[in-house]
Formats: sequence, structure tokens, C-alpha cells
Amino acid sequence: MANFLVWVVWFGAAFACLASALGVVSFGNPFYSALALIGNLASLAVLFLLLSGEFVAAGQVLVYGGAVMVMFLFVIAYLGDRTDESPWSGGPSWQVVGAILAGAAILAEVCVVVGLKAGGFLSSSHHVGRSFGSPASIGRLFLTDHLLAFEVTSIVLLVAAVGGVVLGSHARQEVESDARA
Amino acid sequence: MHEAWWITIPKAFVVINVVMVFFAFTTWLERKLLGRMQLRFGPNRAGPKGLLVPIADLLKLIRKEAFAPMAANEPLYILAPVVSMFTALAAFSVLPFGAGWTVWGHHIRGQVVNVPISLILIFALGSLGIYGFIVGGWASESKYSILGSMRTCAQLVSYEVSLALSVLGVVLMGQSLNLQSIVDKQQATLWFFIPQFIGLVVFMLGGVAETSRPPFDLPEADTELVAGYHTEYSGMRWGLFQAAEYINMITLSGLCVTLFFGGYHFPWVHSLDQLGPIWFVLKLFTLVMIFIWLRATQPRLRYDQLMRFGWKVLLPVATVNALVTAFLVVLVK
Repeated sequence: MANFLVWVVWFGAAFACLASALGVVSFGNPFYSALALIGNLASLAVLFLLLSGEFVAAGQVLVYGGAVMVMFLFVIAYLGDRTDESPWSGGPSWQVVGAILAGAAILAEVCVVVGLKAGGFLSSSHHVGRSFGSPASIGRLFLTDHLLAFEVTSIVLLVAAVGGVVLGSHARQEVESDARA
Repeated sequence: MHEAWWITIPKAFVVINVVMVFFAFTTWLERKLLGRMQLRFGPNRAGPKGLLVPIADLLKLIRKEAFAPMAANEPLYILAPVVSMFTALAAFSVLPFGAGWTVWGHHIRGQVVNVPISLILIFALGSLGIYGFIVGGWASESKYSILGSMRTCAQLVSYEVSLALSVLGVVLMGQSLNLQSIVDKQQATLWFFIPQFIGLVVFMLGGVAETSRPPFDLPEADTELVAGYHTEYSGMRWGLFQAAEYINMITLSGLCVTLFFGGYHFPWVHSLDQLGPIWFVLKLFTLVMIFIWLRATQPRLRYDQLMRFGWKVLLPVATVNALVTAFLVVLVK
């Protein structure tokens, strides 16, 4: 029964994930694309939940679904125009057909490779400890095995923040000099 | 103590309805208190002391015509209030309101669901709730609405950072992200509003901004923006937005009680803990009254003041508080 439920939830989440990802690239209106991306991130969080990664799932929703996508929506709602033009409308139809065929071929290849590599794992269920995916164990991994990556990430983020400030202040100086002239 | 899975369903039903009743009578309480603070009577016609005013409001809103602007984006316009309401109600589910009881051999936990990361879950639901406001403003296709939702967006993102950092001290002292363990820890040691007083102040200020209550009600500043993101809404759709805002305020007060004021525990007398929900609700409404008091007495901030206060005052204070707490926790250990 429990196993059946897991399959149902997995199918639902996986389908929502693929559908919303398709939505992101095929909606004409960028606002809809951003909303579809939120749906995509949320369904990914459900997949994380199925893998006992509760903390990662909640972090995914909080950081990406919540904070980052709010910024996307902010910019799109402020600056984006509301014209609805389909991204598939341009170009001759054989390009569309070719793109779909190529995409399907890559998807099939990925499925085959994953199936060949992981066939052994997928047929048997893995046992994970109770602390797996808990904030404490993730924190321990961050400060032991993955310390370098963790610290480098923080430096990258710092650089991005400083870059944002510098770009913003340049733009402001130009506006002020324009105003003076 | 394990709880049978089906108990969650009636419990969720009861809790949702109780929260809705709280919402209805918070609107009454707000009008009554505002009236008293402004030397008026407040509502006093419908029912004794005007207690039936929320019911009259509900009947009026339901019977109103539900119209949408011609240019509105219909599906999103209808969906937005529903999303806000859903996330507002869902967030209450992880707040512990009692120690748990045994009825007819079944153990009932004083909490709808108990997840190890309940604190993060509340924040995650809160951050999803913002979308209702943004999408609602955008889909209305009106200048005032879009300006209101832009302001909501900027304000909520700015203050969410301080809000999350202000509870970090509590998490460090409680050694857990689970609200139930944080409450237990407070009962075992000390209610956290004493050692985490700065955290409490930042949390309350951030909370007022996060729920867009006066004096931080710039998203719907009625003198500038008509009503902000819900300008084009009427009837029960508007009612849903309003309900979501009030329920967010109630949930935030509940979270504040849980994190800083010992949750459902009664001070000193342990035998009274069986009546946990009563103490929880009393503490919760004390905080709700502080929200109302602020509304009655404080003028609205200017937009640049709001942003400066959020980023240059609250955020550094919250950060230093978290750092000092972390240092002291390690030192005491």
C-alpha cells in the first residue's frame, strides 16, 4: 500500500515536473513561463521529499521557489511586455519537427543509459538512516567533506553581490550626471 | 507516543475551522479596539457588543457580485486569492497548541502534523503565499494593482531576510528546527524572550512588515494606491485576500508565542499544561492586540524609510544577534 502510494506520488510529481518544464519554454508570455518554473521547482521538491531529503525539499521551496522566483516575477511584471507571441511561431515547421525529434532521441538515450547504469539499484529499495537528509547531517557534510565547495560558493556569492552593487552605482552615477547636464 | 494516521483528518478540519473563527473575530476585535482607542464605540449594532458583525460581513461579501475587470487575466485573477488563502491556512498546521491527550485509548498530538523541519516549512509556505499577492496584482491589469504588488514583492522579500535571521538565535538555543522541541526546550530551561529579547524585537518588527500591517502597510497604502494589489477585487475574492492577511497575522503571532513565549505552557505551574490550547490562544491574542495597537498609534512610514529600516537597521541587528548567540551557545557548552 505504502509502496503504491509512493509510485502514485512519484508519477504525479514527475509528470508535473516535465509538463511545467515544457511550459517554461513554450509559453508565449514570460509571466506564465516564470509561474511554470515555480511549478517545476515545487514538483522537484516533491521528488526530493520522496528521496527522504526533507530539508533539501523545504530549502528548494524557500530559496528557489520563494525568494529567487519572486525576483524573476518582479522584473517580468515591471518590465516585461504583455504581448503573447509563441516561441514556436518563428521559423519553418521542419525546424520544430526536427527539434522535437532530437529532443525525443536524447530523452530515450538518457533513459537507456540510466536504466543500464542504475538497473541494479532501481529494482531493490535502499535503506537510509533516520538522520539522512536532516539539517544536522547536511550541516556536518558541509563543514567536513564538502568544506571547500561550501566556502568557494560563499565567495562566489559575495563577488556577485559586490558586482551588483558596482553595476548599480555606475548606473546611478550616469543618471545623476545626465540630470546635471 | 504514536498517533493513528486518520486522527489527523478530523484534527485538521477542527483546526482550520477554529482558525477561520479566530480570523472572523479578529476583524471584530480590531474594529472594537480601534474604536475604543479613537474614543468611538466601534461596532455595536449587529448582536450584543456588535459580535455578529463578522457574520454580517460574510453574508454581504458572499452575496456581492463577483466581477472581474475586462482586461484581467481571468484564470490567474481567480486563482491568486485561493493560493494566498491556502498557504495561510496550511502554515498553521505545524504550530503546536497542546501537549497531547489520550482520548478513548487514542493518543492525540497537540499539533496537526509534526515534521522535523516545521520552522522552515512555515517560512517556505509564507514565501509561497507572496505569489498570491503578486499574481493577483499582475492579473488585475491595473496600474494601482501592479504598483501594489511591486511594493508587496519588494517589502516582503526585504523583511523575510531579517525575519529568518531573527529566529536563528532561537534555533541555536533550542538546538532544533522542530517547533515542538523548541517549546520543550523552553519549558526545560527558560522562555526564550528573555535571552533572545533582541531576536523577539526584530521578529515582531519583521512580522508587522511581513503581514503588511500598519505602520508598514505600504503595499496597500490607501491614500496613494487606492488599495494596492486587491484594488480590482470585490466580493468573496477580496474577502479571501483579507482573510489570508488576517490569518497570516494570527499564524505569525502563534509562531512568535511558540518561539519566544513557551508555546502552550503555563508559567511555573506544570499541572496546568493539560489546558495548553487555552494558554496558547490567550498568548496569541495578546500579540494580535499589539498588532492592532500599533495600527492605531503609528503613522505609516515613507517608502525609502521602510527600505532603509529593513536593510540598514533590522538586518545588521538580526545578523549580530545570531552571531553573538552562536558564540555564546558554543561557549556555554
